[in-house]
Amino acid sequence: MDNDLKNICKPKNFKFIFKTYAKDLKRFLYFKFNDLETAEDVMQDAFIKLWKNCDRVSFETAKSYLFTVGNNLFINIKKHEQVIRKNKYRHTKNTTNESPEFLLIEKEFLTKIENAIADLSPKQREVFLLSRIEKKKYREIAILLDISVKAVEKRMHGALLKMRKITDLNS
Amino acid sequence: MKIKNTNIENEFYLSQWIEGNLADTELKKLVSEDDFLAYKKLKKGIEVFCDLEQPLDTSFERILHRMDKKTKIRKLHLKWIASIAAMLLFFMGFYALINNNSVLNKSSFGEQKTIALLDNSKVILNAKSALNYSKKGWKNKREVFLNGEAFFQVEKGSTFTVKTKNGNITVLGTQFNVKSTDTFFEVICYEGKVRVVHNNKEYILNPTNSFRKINKNPIESLNYSRKKPTWTLGESTYRSVPLKYVIEDLEKQFNIQINSAKINNSSIYTGSFNHHKMDLAFKSVFDAMGLKYNKTASNIYILDN
Repeated sequence: MDNDLKNICKPKNFKFIFKTYAKDLKRFLYFKFNDLETAEDVMQDAFIKLWKNCDRVSFETAKSYLFTVGNNLFINIKKHEQVIRKNKYRHTKNTTNESPEFLLIEKEFLTKIENAIADLSPKQREVFLLSRIEKKKYREIAILLDISVKAVEKRMHGALLKMRKITDLNS
Repeated sequence: MKIKNTNIENEFYLSQWIEGNLADTELKKLVSEDDFLAYKKLKKGIEVFCDLEQPLDTSFERILHRMDKKTKIRKLHLKWIASIAAMLLFFMGFYALINNNSVLNKSSFGEQKTIALLDNSKVILNAKSALNYSKKGWKNKREVFLNGEAFFQVEKGSTFTVKTKNGNITVLGTQFNVKSTDTFFEVICYEGKVRVVHNNKEYILNPTNSFRKINKNPIESLNYSRKKPTWTLGESTYRSVPLKYVIEDLEKQFNIQINSAKINNSSIYTGSFNHHKMDLAFKSVFDAMGLKYNKTASNIYILDN
């Protein structure tokens, strides 16, 4: 019975491990890759690898296993990218401006955003979260909160003005 | 007209821009270079922050899907046997279906289903409920089996019986609501007369009367003034119901899991919640009870005092 509870080959336990570590792992991978899509893919790959080796990994070591696999995948992908890049440069030298819009989001900046959200007025925060996290349109938010679309836009605008100030001040 | 429109939109240009309705080049004209760069970074940061905060249910689904594909190749023999067995089962099931003409109607999480029975009687099924009946004997015996909650509008005719785990309800032609789960049994009569048989005892309900038996508590009888159960209008209403059942219903409506281990889930709740907006529903139930809720992973919530 005790064995059963800790066996991650059991779908229930596997799901529990996913629910416990997936978010952290994705976060960890995001800061490595600086790309949400790759972080998501590699996170999934790591869990699939865990499932394949579920009989060899214990419940307690699952977390470090996942992060190690994630890290190894990161290294492999980066190595592969380097090879590609070398070849690319050899052929076309003028494509150095890979992406001028590339923005690095550091861990500290995310913490600042989190703090800034907490510092918003309740009304601003409500609109901000509905819009950004729940992906609702301003029109839908207006109906939900029983205010005009203008008012929603005003709160969102205010929220962004404030967040820009707060995230900047701390730097 | 068009010019006027853009003017109005530009009043709160940041809200337009973050929604993608205002191009970067437009924003650049409105703010200083420093501001522009700061806003761009803020937008990206918000996007990343919100994505990382997002529940990962779909990721899990995709992992399952991908694992499925990978194991398929290895388990070819097993798959063959399984598919033959499945076909056999399917034909057996099909045969059984033809034979007794049993009809099963099921509603999923957060779903309501309206079912027309053979005699034009109408049944509305609430979320996660099942109703089945046999077509064959319908003419002589109007009889349905229910697990979950449903509102019945029965056409006049021979006796109509709703069978549940907790007891039977018989009527001639009327409107009534039945909710029957493992330990919860409630019948509300809206029109006509309803007879409830529970534990071999008979109870007659007149309009606005109700019969309720929760767990091992004594039988209660409350009066309702409404013409229709509120859940058919997108809102579940409760009168002095242990919180446990309200939580069960929330789970059924929104397809989530709520962990109530930390709280006393037998405290009594009176109130209602909306089926369309989960955050509002949470507010109206948990705020009213003075409870805090925390989202842990994807669709799991933990309650605390």
